[in-house]
Amino acid sequence: MAATTPQGSVRQRNVGGSSKKNKDGISAASSDVELDKIVKAARTLASAAGSEYDYKIVGVIITALAFLTRFWGISHPNEVVFDEVHFGKFASYYLQKTYFFDVHPPFGKLLFAFMGWLVGYDGHFHFENIGDSYIANKVPYVAFRSLPAILGALTVSVVYLIMWESGYSLPACIVAAGLILLDNAHIGQTRLILLDATLVFAMACSLLCYIKFYKLRHEPFSRKWWKWLILTGFALSCDMSTKYVGLFAFITIGSAVAIDLWELLDIKRPGGTLSLPDFSKHFAARAFGLILMPFLFYLFWFQVHFSILTRSGPGDDFMTPEFQETLSDNVMLSNAITINYYDSITLKHKETKAYLHSHAERYPLRYDDGRVSSQGQQVTGYPFNDTNNYWQILPVQVDQKVDHPVKNHELVRLRHLVTDTYLLSHDVASPYYPTNQEFTTVPQADAYGDRVADTLFEIRIENGKPNQEFKTISSHFKLIHNPSKVAMWTHTTPLPDWGHKQQEINGNKQIAPSSNVWLIEDIPSIPADHPRRAKPEKEVKTLPFLRKWFELQRSMFWHNNQLTSSHPYASLPFQWPFLLRGVSFWTQNDTRQQIYFLGNPIGWWIASSVLAIYAGIVLADQFSLRRGIDALDHRSRSRLYNSTGFFFLAWATHYFPFYVMGRQLFLHHYLPAHLASTLVTGALVEFIFSADSTDLELAHQAAKSGKKGFAIKRHVTARERFAGQSMMGAWIATFAILALAFAGWYFFLPLTYGYPGLTVEQVVRRKWLGYDLHFAK
Amino acid sequence: MAASDRAVAVSGVDVGDARRRTAVPQTAVVEKPEADDKKKTAKKSPSILDIIDEWEWIYAPLIFTVLAFFTRFYKIGLSPIVTWDEAHFGKFGSHYLKREFYFDSSRILTNTQQPPAGKLLVGLSGYLAGYNGSFEFKSGEKYPEELNYTFMRQFNAFWGAACVPMAYWTAKTLNLKRPAVWLVTLMVLCENSYTTISRFILLDSMLLFGTVLTTLCWAKFHAQRHNAFEPEWCLWLLMTGLSIGFVTSIKLVGLFVTALVGIYTIEDLWSKFGNTKMPVTVLAAHLTARVIGLIVLPFLVYLLSFAIHFAVLTNSGPGDAQMSSLFQANLRGTEVGRDSPLEIAYGSRATIKNMGYGGGLLHSHVQTYPEGSGQQQVTCYHHKDANNDWFFYPNRREPDFSPEEEPRFIADGTTIRLIHAQTGRNLHSHEISAPVTKADKEVSCYGNLTIGDEKDHWKIEVISDAASRDRSKIRTLTTGFRLKHETLGCYLRAGNTNLPQWGFKQIEVTCTKENKPRDTYTHWNIEAHTNEKLPPGDPGSYRSPFWKDFIHLNVAMMTSNNALVPDPDKQDDLASQWWQWPILHVGLRMCSWDDNIVKYFLLGNPLVYWGTTAGLGLFAFLVVWYTLRWQRGYNELSQWDVDQIHYAGLYPVIGWFLHYLPFVVMARVTYVHHYYPALYFAILEFGFLIDWFLRNRTKVVQYAIYGVLDVTVIGLYVYFMPICWGMTGPNKQYSYMKWFDTWRMSDA
Repeated sequence: MAATTPQGSVRQRNVGGSSKKNKDGISAASSDVELDKIVKAARTLASAAGSEYDYKIVGVIITALAFLTRFWGISHPNEVVFDEVHFGKFASYYLQKTYFFDVHPPFGKLLFAFMGWLVGYDGHFHFENIGDSYIANKVPYVAFRSLPAILGALTVSVVYLIMWESGYSLPACIVAAGLILLDNAHIGQTRLILLDATLVFAMACSLLCYIKFYKLRHEPFSRKWWKWLILTGFALSCDMSTKYVGLFAFITIGSAVAIDLWELLDIKRPGGTLSLPDFSKHFAARAFGLILMPFLFYLFWFQVHFSILTRSGPGDDFMTPEFQETLSDNVMLSNAITINYYDSITLKHKETKAYLHSHAERYPLRYDDGRVSSQGQQVTGYPFNDTNNYWQILPVQVDQKVDHPVKNHELVRLRHLVTDTYLLSHDVASPYYPTNQEFTTVPQADAYGDRVADTLFEIRIENGKPNQEFKTISSHFKLIHNPSKVAMWTHTTPLPDWGHKQQEINGNKQIAPSSNVWLIEDIPSIPADHPRRAKPEKEVKTLPFLRKWFELQRSMFWHNNQLTSSHPYASLPFQWPFLLRGVSFWTQNDTRQQIYFLGNPIGWWIASSVLAIYAGIVLADQFSLRRGIDALDHRSRSRLYNSTGFFFLAWATHYFPFYVMGRQLFLHHYLPAHLASTLVTGALVEFIFSADSTDLELAHQAAKSGKKGFAIKRHVTARERFAGQSMMGAWIATFAILALAFAGWYFFLPLTYGYPGLTVEQVVRRKWLGYDLHFAK
Repeated sequence: MAASDRAVAVSGVDVGDARRRTAVPQTAVVEKPEADDKKKTAKKSPSILDIIDEWEWIYAPLIFTVLAFFTRFYKIGLSPIVTWDEAHFGKFGSHYLKREFYFDSSRILTNTQQPPAGKLLVGLSGYLAGYNGSFEFKSGEKYPEELNYTFMRQFNAFWGAACVPMAYWTAKTLNLKRPAVWLVTLMVLCENSYTTISRFILLDSMLLFGTVLTTLCWAKFHAQRHNAFEPEWCLWLLMTGLSIGFVTSIKLVGLFVTALVGIYTIEDLWSKFGNTKMPVTVLAAHLTARVIGLIVLPFLVYLLSFAIHFAVLTNSGPGDAQMSSLFQANLRGTEVGRDSPLEIAYGSRATIKNMGYGGGLLHSHVQTYPEGSGQQQVTCYHHKDANNDWFFYPNRREPDFSPEEEPRFIADGTTIRLIHAQTGRNLHSHEISAPVTKADKEVSCYGNLTIGDEKDHWKIEVISDAASRDRSKIRTLTTGFRLKHETLGCYLRAGNTNLPQWGFKQIEVTCTKENKPRDTYTHWNIEAHTNEKLPPGDPGSYRSPFWKDFIHLNVAMMTSNNALVPDPDKQDDLASQWWQWPILHVGLRMCSWDDNIVKYFLLGNPLVYWGTTAGLGLFAFLVVWYTLRWQRGYNELSQWDVDQIHYAGLYPVIGWFLHYLPFVVMARVTYVHHYYPALYFAILEFGFLIDWFLRNRTKVVQYAIYGVLDVTVIGLYVYFMPICWGMTGPNKQYSYMKWFDTWRMSDA
């Protein structure tokens, strides 16, 4: 209520101003003498608009409420909830400086680590399971959680500012911010140690900064202009450096920038033609601020990431040996031994962890599908230690030279020690793959007789240099059969009973795949106390930053694409706007408490239906325009297409790309799009329930009819637009929407805050669309 | 009327950019090129050169056609073995000749289930060749004496050859100048990959024919745009519709060229909609004409192909299980429904069929789940074997079944047990997540006659009965019912999810908590039924209507397409990826590379591939260039120019994207020949570009550039000819063509 009283008085003052201007506007069209007066009138209008303290008061109230809703009961539950397992763990890894691997970029996780560092936490707890107690493990979890809660609360304020800056009336701002304020999904996701608070906040900030920047378009290259351009870029960078879905914001802003540039290029531009050098400056400024600089920031977070994580950790396995050698106390550094000829070795397949194995049994003559084998000795993959895994590595020519190291790209033979036979491959189809070559072994007579060529294999070390020494563990290599150029390969489908369900080994014609990679696990022929096993104190190597970054980046994308397995609470994009299903985050049986991640259904349905209404209005307008019927005034249409259209674009670009994404998706992926949809909702409430003032339209027409210097070069605030108009309809709509949203928020509150526990009947009442809640029985 | 028609036509071309430029007089439609040509011929007295010039329209396509037939037919029977996908399409042809019902599961190489028209034509060619359908078409096998495979191949080559004159007419209709028209035609004629793929019993030549024909009809229809509702306009509208129907009935890829025509039509109607001078009745007439010509007509053609399909295939065959039980019962020679007792009683032995689209038979085998309960697997399987048989038994609370008792019939609402005939275990479900669809419960086979609990109890809920309203009996074939698990309250369901390799890729069976009576994947019916105590009946006397069969087969086609996710286990060195095609990175060996057999290698003409790909980039540059300059106030393009870019340049590019992007997005195994329809549009695009840049140059420049291009295209074609006409002898002698290691026409 406090907000409306001052507004009344302001409105009255404005009526006077605007009616005066109205009169002037008309007379100005007829007489040039009046021009001065108009300019003066416009100035008084501007000063009146400058003190929008009603907006400020409402903004403060909303921010306060936002902090209240996000922080209320934040210490509950005092257990690990859902993905806190991951992001809490990563924060601990940062604090312990141990290397880890994750598919998300580092910025969001670094923030958590920073928070932990601030409160002096040492990262001893690894967040292993959902439901682990924080109290018992002495984790400052409230500090961790308050970071997303702060960002989540500020998101509400940013939404409010976006609407305000875009020149919407107070009801519109309140609707948009209120729908975020009272949204259970935003609250739920930002009260826990998750990345989405950072993501959504950065996305909202990027929209706000871009709008600020765009409003300064009549003062290009001014200090403020640069400031907001850089800030837009920075917000975008934070967005993308938190999660890769942040790239969608680049599409939003990028489309808007492209349209803006296109208009700058226009020879008949209202503000006068831009020369090509000027245009290039515009172009270069945006390319620098919105592409180059964000990318440099993005790289910077990786640099921070690498410089913090200096110790070997659970992420080692995802990286190449060269990379691992840059981490201290790494196994690679300590255990790698150079392999000499005549050593006996064990070969391990990197992907399936099986050892190259052979035993006295032979391949059956005929397989089930009728193909025939060579009936040679079986060569299989076997995951356990066994003397049948021992192979002696021999040079091509028997020279009996000792201490002669094996080098990259050299041809070798492998002798199976137990059966004294030699590894061989030939043009016979393997048991399972008609396209792949069979691997077998032959006795010494053959191996040095007519089959000699078929027993030669080349060692090809991954990313190796010529003449590099071949080492255990650290040298990842492919074993290429020399005459036929197939790579030794294995897969997890077990052989039938004749092969003791061990893995098939065969020769793969496709050499490139990484599934062909093997490593030497050990040299059993060297005694444990032999000097070759001595571990000299090796120093940690360094790699250029860009190389490390490139390697990590590739690995991240690859693993991100592998995230396709199904999850019980995964959902599909089409379900999100209708809020068909949520995610169960946490349950506690004794108290019947649960956290079920779900939006405020009423709020979501309102926002989604408004999106449909918006699309309907635009389509209807296009169709009627096409038939020559102009139903909208210039300003309303411009606002509908430019400002609201921008919000709609933000929604579309944050929503539709998910349809082509193959990985598993969850409801929280819709949060940025939902934020955009509330912006559209606010804007449409204004569009539907209030009409623009007519004097501005007249002024616009006057400007159009050729009065130079009359064009309104300044941003027009909501107050000016609605001067003299009754906002009653918009206010009523606002209160109605907020009341409904409040009811929905309050009703689902126990599921969002995990408190209090609900009885069966209460749970069942909340199963609106068959939400799969716990404790319904 | 004429005046208003003209206005219609004018606004029809006045789109997009032109709308903003109100200053340009709207009636300035210039038809430059033809006027030019005619003027020249009219002025001078006719010399021999002029006569040649004048009659070009008749002899040029003739010559091209003759050349096309020569290149496509020459030595077509050289290789007497079943080559590449002939193994599939020949087999389907055989099924038609034997009139056995089959389901196209040719996923191994072609990867798509196709509508029947193309295979019907293959069948027709076999019929014309006097072939009786007895050959199995095993890959790499020699054709038997009595099979005139040469004729069957010629039949297919005919479609490929016919593309060449059509390309000529299309280019001409798109207002290209004569040398550009010739260049386009030459590029289609001298395309090694088009030549090779047309020479075998495959569907691709027909698909190509359909695509080219549709494009031609579309161009002709567009050329008639000023003569709305006149006979020729109507003719080409109908022809477009018919060709769309034809091409979509051959392969579903035809939908992409349909989309091209669709985009054109929408744009056309949108501009007509904006013409306020056009009477609403005329507008409605335009809309109706297009709905009839471009939607109804093609759909009828598509329906017709299925009607023929069903009419021909009246015998039972390998594809039965894909169809509903009632449909199968109506095939000649089927086991389904024959002598089956009508009503189910305790002790009946029956197979239970899922009524969802493409649903299989409830199946179990001794293999167990590797995760979850570790109990015996239950799946859905299309192949008919004894593991699909189940016994109906009373639940454990009722008196046990004894073979001597009077038949006790099962009604709607009865709670029963189902016992797997081969292993004697009960159909069972419990509180364990299903292996793939985690939200559902696992269904397994557990216990035996005596061991077991309430979790073996299933309640029958009848959904529908085609034969009777009486719900006190469950009838073979006609009763659709659901099985509700008594303790969990969930329903037995077999969706279209395939199990991993441990489940032999059979369909996962789950118990779903969602009670959706309309979910057909939870509906089941009795298919085969034996019970010695009951009199045999004839439950198959109810025919399933054509519509139901049509929809069923189509949905089964689509859903099994979707199931074709790439299998990382399967290493296929024939497959290639989308980015490799436009740059001609790889070819494809169509047969084994033995020295003793005739070898064919699928590879395009390098100039055609590289040139057209570069052309696409150039066109993008051209469009950006002109729009940027337009925005800067240059007014350098006439309305005719804009139209030419729009229809002869932009539409082929859209066509290329429509035929190319789906393969980029789809995560499935793809092969080089998937690019061929897209390549045709790229060729048209190339022709447009060359025409655009050379149209107003001096004769010398034109002769020089066209000469070089024509000679290079022909030269390369001849150079690579052996890969199309067949390489005999050791492959080493062809190593001269191996420009890159990935062109594996020779092992050397």
